[in-house]
Amino acid sequence: MPELALCDAPPRRELLRLLRASAAGLWPAQRVIAEDVLGAEAKIDWVALEPGGRACVVLVGEQGEDLELVARALAQRAWLGPRLRDWLQIAPRIGLRPEAGVRALLLCPAFRSEALAAASALGPDVLSLASYRCVRDAAGVSVLVEPIRGASGAAEAIEAHPPEPFRTGLSDLDLGLTPDERREFERLASPGGVSG
Amino acid sequence: MPRNLGDVVDYFLPRAGAAPPARRARSSDGPPRPAGDRPAALPIVALPVGERDVVRAAFAWNLAVEVSRLGACATLLAPADAASAPLWPESGPGPVGTEVVMTEAGDLPELGRAALDLAVSRAAECEAGGLVLVRVPPAWLAGGSDSRALLRWVLLFTAGEPREMLEAYALAKAVFARHPEARVGITIHGARRIADAEQAFHRLADVALRHLGRSFVSYGLLVDDLHVYRGIVARRPIGLEHPQSRAARALRDVARLLLEDAGRWPVA
Repeated sequence: MPELALCDAPPRRELLRLLRASAAGLWPAQRVIAEDVLGAEAKIDWVALEPGGRACVVLVGEQGEDLELVARALAQRAWLGPRLRDWLQIAPRIGLRPEAGVRALLLCPAFRSEALAAASALGPDVLSLASYRCVRDAAGVSVLVEPIRGASGAAEAIEAHPPEPFRTGLSDLDLGLTPDERREFERLASPGGVSG
Repeated sequence: MPRNLGDVVDYFLPRAGAAPPARRARSSDGPPRPAGDRPAALPIVALPVGERDVVRAAFAWNLAVEVSRLGACATLLAPADAASAPLWPESGPGPVGTEVVMTEAGDLPELGRAALDLAVSRAAECEAGGLVLVRVPPAWLAGGSDSRALLRWVLLFTAGEPREMLEAYALAKAVFARHPEARVGITIHGARRIADAEQAFHRLADVALRHLGRSFVSYGLLVDDLHVYRGIVARRPIGLEHPQSRAARALRDVARLLLEDAGRWPVA
């Protein structure tokens, strides 16, 4: 088994640094143009610029903050939209296109069904979700970010919540299985699988 | 090699007459054993059970009681960590002479030494033979330490759900990584029909054969019926409280299979 274990999130500043690095790997076309921006009554963790010139508000929440985060994301998106032209004046060559609009990306350890349903109803051009988990290995703490895809609430709910730990107390990360080995059992669990 | 699960007929067939009387574990009327064939140590069976795994802990303890009821000695050894303390009965002799021993072992080698000490001392006391069942914290299997003595014979409890089978497979893989010659047994619990348990066992065995090049030994099936949960809550062994229940009879079958193999393959 790998020496890798789930762990608590590091202090927020470090968590944000790790998440930004992870997001850069997942969405390499995004470019961070502002960090720790005071927006509507609260701070925006960072604002990224997407290839088409669209701004993306990124908010990071902790366990249980997902529903609050959805409301805050809509508020921050509404706050930033009218200010994009001001930002463009300050940095005309940044590539920002105010007419492309603003979307929000939320990062949270897990999302409940209400948050998933809200995101699904709003669509990915308004709100996207990604879950994260902190893991510790010999090199220290790192974060695993997993975008939540699709629009079906039930299916997303299953993906968004980290799987229940096993009866042994071990987590998926502890098992040390290869993708091929995992697939053997996932096939049994799938609706079209051979589980009988 | 897979065993025919059909031999655990107790699961389905009603048993006529009264329950077999409870016997003292250290009596001489246990399973047949050639005269003068007393082993230097009782066989050790490692049971990976998590610190909050109430159901598997209950299976382990009830299995030990059933071993005792079959006339053999049964000792259950478990690390004395505070988190798992509520899972086990008090240390010392319990029902039908079944003994619970807590150890301060903090890792797999220490647990292995404690198990071996116990296996040697109990072998000297038990004419009828028996087993030392050892609760192994699953997380300890991840360590790279030498634990071959403890992992020669391992019994895994798993339900037939894919996620539980995945977990059992991973535990078996960890065991084989530390002891390539280990005998890994599987007992399926929660099955409603023998066919379901057979199917689950064969799927698990098939994956192990293809990916690990190893096979499992079948140790029957256990029933998650109401008596199991009542027994857990009441901390009373199912075999004594409800000896005619399907759960008790299935447990007895598993205990019998273990004792048969203990005589067939001395492992300690």
